Amino acid sequence: MMTDLRPYQICTRCIMDTTDTEISFDENGQCNHCASYFKLAPLYVYQGESSDKALQELVAKMKEAGKNSEYDCMVGVSGGVDSSYVAYITKKLGLRALTLHFDNGWNSQLAVKNIENIVKKSGFDYQTWVVDWEEFRDLQVSFFKASVANLEIPTDQAFLAAIYNLCNKYNIKYILSGSNFATEGILPKSWGYNAKDTKHIKAIHDQFGKVPFKTYPLLGFNREFYYTYVKGIKMVRLLNYVPYVKSDAMKVIQDELGWVYYGGKHYESVFTRFFQAYILPVKFGIDKRKAHLSTLICSGQITREEALEEMQKDPYPEELLTQDKDYVIKKLGLTPEEFETIMKAPVKSYKDYPNDEKRLKFIYSVYNKLRGR
Amino acid sequence: MAITRVIPVLLLKNSGLVKTLKFKDPKYVGDPLNAVKIFNEKEVDELILLDITATTENKKPQLELLKEIAGECFMPLTYGGGIKSSDEIKDILKVGVEKICLNSVAVENADMVKQSVRRYGSSTICVSIDVKKNFFGKQEIHTHSGKTNTKIDPLTFALQMDKLGVGELIINSIDRDGMMQGYDVELMKKITNAVNMPVIACGGAGTVAQMKEVIQQGGASAVAAGSMFVFHGKHRAVLISYPSQEEMESIFE
Amino acid sequence: MVIIIDYGLGNLGSIKNMLNKIGVNAEISGDPVVISSATKLILPGVGAFDNGMQNLTDLKLIEVLNKKVLEDKVPVLGICLGMQLMTRGSEEGNLLGLGWVDAVTIKFNSTDSERKFPIPHMGWEYVKAEKESLLLKEMYDKPRFYFVHSYYVKALRGDDVLISTDYNGEFVSGFEKNNILGVQFHPEKSHKFGMKLFKNFIENY
Repeated sequence: MMTDLRPYQICTRCIMDTTDTEISFDENGQCNHCASYFKLAPLYVYQGESSDKALQELVAKMKEAGKNSEYDCMVGVSGGVDSSYVAYITKKLGLRALTLHFDNGWNSQLAVKNIENIVKKSGFDYQTWVVDWEEFRDLQVSFFKASVANLEIPTDQAFLAAIYNLCNKYNIKYILSGSNFATEGILPKSWGYNAKDTKHIKAIHDQFGKVPFKTYPLLGFNREFYYTYVKGIKMVRLLNYVPYVKSDAMKVIQDELGWVYYGGKHYESVFTRFFQAYILPVKFGIDKRKAHLSTLICSGQITREEALEEMQKDPYPEELLTQDKDYVIKKLGLTPEEFETIMKAPVKSYKDYPNDEKRLKFIYSVYNKLRGR
Repeated sequence: MAITRVIPVLLLKNSGLVKTLKFKDPKYVGDPLNAVKIFNEKEVDELILLDITATTENKKPQLELLKEIAGECFMPLTYGGGIKSSDEIKDILKVGVEKICLNSVAVENADMVKQSVRRYGSSTICVSIDVKKNFFGKQEIHTHSGKTNTKIDPLTFALQMDKLGVGELIINSIDRDGMMQGYDVELMKKITNAVNMPVIACGGAGTVAQMKEVIQQGGASAVAAGSMFVFHGKHRAVLISYPSQEEMESIFE
Repeated sequence: MVIIIDYGLGNLGSIKNMLNKIGVNAEISGDPVVISSATKLILPGVGAFDNGMQNLTDLKLIEVLNKKVLEDKVPVLGICLGMQLMTRGSEEGNLLGLGWVDAVTIKFNSTDSERKFPIPHMGWEYVKAEKESLLLKEMYDKPRFYFVHSYYVKALRGDDVLISTDYNGEFVSGFEKNNILGVQFHPEKSHKFGMKLFKNFIENY
């Protein structure tokens, strides 16, 4: 378990605690995460008129860039709240969008239904990138066997590679992503290494994998540089430009797009919900709800008491957990015994495997300076 | 008459799902297990799973995979692909498959069909025929995933299968496969007028209205569809869908 | 313990799967000793009547089943052929049935334009409840189930009729006589309707 030798402590302002091994507290018991949130919020959260203006300018830029293409922008859709709301806003802004769904073989029925409703109601064109399941499963199992905390790297990395690839194909210059500061601003580094390190992915694959990469898309910094700097494809966090209150957004997409709630953040993917509600807490002692709820506390969407109450609840109805567990084990091609063995294996850090952290940190800092960030 | 069944057809190529156009150019659709799980949660009436390279590549039905898939189905599952002998059927039924679909072997060995019906019951055995028009517009049965032209007339063959007590017949139009422009209603009508067994229309479905057409004018007892339930839009992108209960009721009743 | 009787015929795995899904841990067994400890029984079946009765006889199951069902009054649910075996006999075969209910099994009459009502009767069909029953408690609206059969049960005692279905005329698709229940359709292949039915059988009997 990823526990610290320090005694348990929980923030007095949000609910982040020492399950983040790198957390620090000030003299009032308030943690670095919410402090950081408040510091960065003016940059990333809706600020009223200035944000409205920025949005208008952005839309104009997108329409200008879209003159050479069938589409002004690409919108990634997963069937979840954030991306569905992005699709809704994009439609209201009168933009011509190509919706893209990244299919890693773990879609829940509700997610697919939500995507269907969004695509049909918005009238946007639709594309998918379907990862080869055999290759993908092998990579997921490799990461699982590696005992590192971020099991979403295979998905996150491939999704990025796919979306840039397709933007290039369709000559689209803007990607509208559902990531947003207001509900996701807090996420400790110690809980997961970032996805964009292909050296790390290849190393884990080499060590634990059996199926060679043939079609699995790898991004890598060079290629990313080509897409973003040379081809000028920009990733835009659209939800940072509008007031984003989760409960309000849910209501809007329910009414306007026939969206259906499936319970829990990211529960549209059977793997993600099992990962976040079972593997992370049980093997790694990490409950991502703390990060998500802490962000909501900071953005004023819930109170600390409500967050603590929410944490008391099971992240998973017991019945669904059993079904999901059976399904995940079966789908990953493991036996129940193999699964338990891996669950009990000692936790490792990404640092225990070859990685490009230092080099990438340096490259990105230079790169971001170049781009004026 | 039983409620008209609307049946998704999934094509298996090795361990992945694919979709074809006129039986060519297979496009990767994804993991079969997850697709079946989604269809199951959509409460589809029935599911047909066909392994399209088992016979041509001389491979056996993938029993392990079938077992996993059957475990996700709370509706009847029909399997076809690579079945050559009556004995093999027992193992397939054992893993949880309800019905067996015979294709190439039915044309090559009518006796095997007869034996299978006798052994497993007519409601367990269905026969599918893949039909394509020749240069002169004459319909001919093709086997081995459309690669072999047997030159056999579908109506003659259908009558023969009917006599053998086969439980149901699937008529698959190769010309219309994946085109989503409607079924071959004429062909269906010709066959349903002649046989007693239920006949399922397959190949060409694009809309619920087209399904209604082949039922009312073509005499189909059930309709099957592949691309319609697996693709969406002009880019032919993967999106699993199925008409809602309300949609179906309003069209079929 | 819920025992799914294994006498060589029927969708045993599918039934166990569905019970699993609703949180019920059932055992599959053809062993008279195991069956004699059952708290509930499920008698599945697909195939010919005589095959069914012969298998039950050969496996020496008839005695223990009679005891459990008729004496101990253990709740038993017959499915498809299983339901038919509970009757006195069938037109399909020569052997006597278990005779647990006052009913016989007869063949569908294909007198009409056979195109409209082909035999075997295969597909989804709406069902109608003919009496109140715990088996149908809180059943979803417009219940439908999956049927596949060429013979059907004709109940001689009206009181025993639980469910009826229309297929070129009404026929008995379910009966209930105290602890003895039978359904012609396949709940294990009928999605949420089947799940509800199984749930009711397990929880209410």
